[in-house]
Amino acid sequence: MIQIVTGDPRPIFRQIVDGLRMKIATGELEPNTKLPSVRGLAMQLMVNPNTVAKAYAELTSEGLIETRKRIGVFVCEPRQRLSDAERERRLQEALQHFVSAVVSLGFDTEEILDRVSVELEPVKSQHDGTRGSGESR
Amino acid sequence: MSDYVIETDGLYKVYGRKAALSNLSLHLPRGGVHALVGSNGAGKSTLFRILLGISSPTVGWSRVLGTDSQTLSPKTRGKIGWVNEEHTLPVWMTVEQLVDMQRAQYKSWDEGAFREVIRHFNVLSEQKVGQLSRGERAGLNLAMAMAQSPELLILDEPTLGLDVVAKQVFLESLLFAADHDECTIVYCSHQMDEIERVAESLVILERGRLASFSSLESFCERVSCWLLELDGGLPLDRIPGLLQTREVDDLTQVVVLDQDERFQEVLESFGARSVQRAPIGFDRAVNAYLNRNHHGTRLEIH
Repeated sequence: MIQIVTGDPRPIFRQIVDGLRMKIATGELEPNTKLPSVRGLAMQLMVNPNTVAKAYAELTSEGLIETRKRIGVFVCEPRQRLSDAERERRLQEALQHFVSAVVSLGFDTEEILDRVSVELEPVKSQHDGTRGSGESR
Repeated sequence: MSDYVIETDGLYKVYGRKAALSNLSLHLPRGGVHALVGSNGAGKSTLFRILLGISSPTVGWSRVLGTDSQTLSPKTRGKIGWVNEEHTLPVWMTVEQLVDMQRAQYKSWDEGAFREVIRHFNVLSEQKVGQLSRGERAGLNLAMAMAQSPELLILDEPTLGLDVVAKQVFLESLLFAADHDECTIVYCSHQMDEIERVAESLVILERGRLASFSSLESFCERVSCWLLELDGGLPLDRIPGLLQTREVDDLTQVVVLDQDERFQEVLESFGARSVQRAPIGFDRAVNAYLNRNHHGTRLEIH
């Protein structure tokens, strides 16, 4: 389901969090999908189970997944748990990161914007799907 | 029960005029997998020998599982598992004879734990130990160490010389057979990819001293890599936190410790152009750290 690589600038814990968050955001993992157990995912990825437990804890605190006692770990229904100010702050931070990384690469603005749109495409259709009231039918 | 599996304080081991351990103070908490990293000659083997009571410190003290390591009782010694890279076992015995012997040695022998590990390896009880492959011997060693129900398991380069498949099976057995709350693992290796997968904390030994002890993530956060263009040379002795410099085509790469965004200005003040911060992975961060005292001798910057 998700892939991790060693030698990546992101620690394995971060790769698991990012990988699952992306899959949930794109709808590849739908609400109420059962995730592998901590041990199960650790075995799939060949990593320390405590690393997976830590990643699950982070996603739980973000409200993306939840543990149902003795049944397993599940993807939550989408909801916005962050305040508007916090969302704004995080967006700004991510943008600054992105801009400083791409500014010296020599692409023109239009090309960069196009590429961003393509990357966001799967996420966009998912959000439209959950927010549109009955339109998707 | 002590909160630490390993405690050393002001530990020295001197051989002739050379100190293998030099004022080593290490407090390793119970639980989890700790990686132990150091260049050759950093003092890892000396430390293990002292901890296991095979060798005695010149100055200072060490405790294992709360007991002075120089006076370990057989009972405490039995709670320490030890797997080294040699995988030396009596070659003339059959697997069954060897396992019978070990089973008789350890009161707390856990047959379930033994089977749980050994089933991953193609080892038959009637086989002579001498006929086993390196990977199979590693597996047998690990299975016997696990069966001891150790509170502390020390693995010294356990996957050295194993092929990819044997390595994977070994790591899998290690990660999923042990209950890491009950058994603290010290994993000593030069394989950064293994450490990244297996370990939660990182201990770096350097010339017999404790150089760093933190989680893997916080270690990575301390190390940053910068790419820059340069006409002249960099005054290496004036760069704060310098670990490593390298020239790649027209770019100079500088790896530093504990520097934030302001480091860009430092580099620019030395005449650097188009300074960029580049991502750096765990393996490179550790290698740069281990190389830090070599940059003056190994690299010539014009």
